[in-house]
Parts: sequence; C-alpha cells; structure tokens
Amino acid sequence: MEHRSDLDEDVPGTGPAPQERRGFLPIRTNWFDRLFVGIYLFVALELFWMRFLEQSIPLTVCHVLAIALTALIVWRG
Amino acid sequence: MRSNTVGWLMLAPTIAILGIFGILPFIYVLYVAFHQWNPFGANPDMVYNGANNFRRLVFDGEFLFSIGVTIKFAFFAVLSEIALGYLLAQLFMREFPGRGLFRTIHTLPLIVAPIVVGSVWRLMTTPSIGIIPYFLKSWFGYDLNIGRDAGAAFTLTVLMDIWHWTPLVTLTLLAALLSLPKEPFEQAQIDGANRWQIFWHITLPMIRPAILATVFIRLMDALRTVDEVWMLTSGGPGAATRYVGLHIWKIVFPKTDYGYGAAISVIVLYLTLVMCWLLYVALVAPRQKKQEAE
Repeated sequence: MEHRSDLDEDVPGTGPAPQERRGFLPIRTNWFDRLFVGIYLFVALELFWMRFLEQSIPLTVCHVLAIALTALIVWRG
Repeated sequence: MRSNTVGWLMLAPTIAILGIFGILPFIYVLYVAFHQWNPFGANPDMVYNGANNFRRLVFDGEFLFSIGVTIKFAFFAVLSEIALGYLLAQLFMREFPGRGLFRTIHTLPLIVAPIVVGSVWRLMTTPSIGIIPYFLKSWFGYDLNIGRDAGAAFTLTVLMDIWHWTPLVTLTLLAALLSLPKEPFEQAQIDGANRWQIFWHITLPMIRPAILATVFIRLMDALRTVDEVWMLTSGGPGAATRYVGLHIWKIVFPKTDYGYGAAISVIVLYLTLVMCWLLYVALVAPRQKKQEAE
C-alpha cells in the first residue's frame, strides 16, 4: 500500500497528510495515532487499577498516572 | 476552495448517516455505561453512578469467562478460515472440470442468514434426529450430544462459523491472487525457487494487505457473534459457549440491566479495537523497519 500522500498526490483539494514520525512506539505514527494509543492505555490502566490496586491505592492516583502516560505517548511516542 | 466545498457537499450524506447511525448511538451507549439504569427494577430512573459499572465488570467472573471463551472461539475460527480460504482460493486459480459450478456452490453459505445457519446446524446436530450424531454413532461409535458435552458444543460453533464464513475469505483472497503480476513468479521459477519459497517470499508479502483486511473483518465479526450460536447451543451447556455477545444479550434483555450491559458493550468495542491495532502493528512494524533499513 502506498503512503497516503502518494495516493493523494494529484488530487485537487486534498491537504498534506498528517506528519508521521518515529518515537518509542514500534511504528511510524501521526499525532492522532498516538492519542489513540494513549487512550487505549489510559483505559487499560484504569481497569487494571480497579481490579488489583484500588483497595490499597485510590483511583485518583491512577487518573494522574494515566494522563501523564497519555501525554508522554502523544509527545514522545 | 471551490473543489473543497463540492467535496464536502458530496461527503455530507455519508457523514450525516455515519453520525446518526454510528457516532450518536455510540455516544449514547457511553453515556448509559456511566449510569445505573434498570427500567423494570425497583428504581426505574437513570442514575449516574460513575465508574461503578466498570468496577463491577472487572470482578464479574461470568463476564471474564465469556471474554476468554470468545477470544478462543475467534482465534480458532479466524485462523481456520484464513488457512482454508487461502487453500480454496489457490484451488480456484487452477483449471479443473466444474470449477464454475463448484465456485458458485461454495459461495452459497454467504447468502444464508446467520439465524438460519444456526437453525440448520441445530437440526443436523440434535441427538436422535440429527444426521451428524447418526453418522458419528454408526461410523465411529461416538455419541455426540451438544447439550451435555461442552467441548463438542464449542467445536461445533467453530465448525459452523468456518462453514459459513470461509467463502468470504476465499473470495477476498482469490481477488488478491488474481490481481498479482506474473513476472515475479516467473523470475522466481527461473531462479530455481521452490513452491514454499515462492509462497513465503513473493505471494504472502504481496497479498498481505488483503489478508490483513480479511482478518480484521472476520475478527470483528467473530467477536460479536450472537445469533448463530444462540440458535445452535443457546450458550450452553452451562456457559461453555456463552460468547460475549450472548452475555450482553442476557444482561440487557432478560435482566434489563441497561447500564451494566452498555458498560460491557463499550469494553468489548475497546477489546476489539485493541486486538485489531495489535494485529496491525504486528503486520506493519516489520515491513516499516525493513524499509527504513534499506
């Protein structure tokens, strides 16, 4: 499959494709991909916390950690 | 600027339909998932209860079991369908007498409604009247009873899914194989590559996008299967084939626990997206690394 920018090369009215780059994630991603992955991990961490850790550590700690992780992925992923 | 306006106008009906029938219901399900709502319970009002539905589901043994058995079902069904579908697609690439007829007959299961497929398989597997238990008993002495044997019930749901959906995989992969150029195969044969090398180094990389798309479609379908399995086993024996779709149905309709049912639906959607994304990364990441190395 060609890159989206290659497919859209001669089509009038199409803007440039979102900029992709490589961070610590295993594939090249644009900002939306990284936000998507961040939300996946946010939900996974919240569910894991509720199942195993909430009885000893409040869920608010998880919210802070999950938001920090999402921001890290969007910024560096 | 003008072409942008025309473009948006042409897309508007699709966006409107997607918004009304796709995005709005999803937002509503997400909203309900954060509420306690049982219209036929002691308190019929919708009451906000934060993340309690999600807290409940991570401790719900029945839900966790249904997730596990659904993933097992999806794994065996999709893997078998891809393997069998590829072999049949390769068969249809060859010339043999009656190929057109066989291809038509082989595609027929696709046009049968899932509920009918479930009914037919139910009739074929019912002990004492079904054709499958009859022949298994008379040929192998095996007593098939899906109302009693959990392993047999699970296997039959997988076989039914394979019977129903392998033609779709065959058609997709056949289209992909027919669109391949001949030159790389001829060059490989001249260079002395054997059939396995041709398959592994030429055919598979070239049809990878088609395989990926087919696996996505089948995986998503397998994870939400309800009606076929409901007709064949009704989720039994016990909860052996109560796949997650059936579990949601049980929570939402007989128990009318809409809030909890919505929370399970959201988590199933989440799991489906995660599995598809992981699969996408597993297939795309090595190719990107190879391209970057070159």
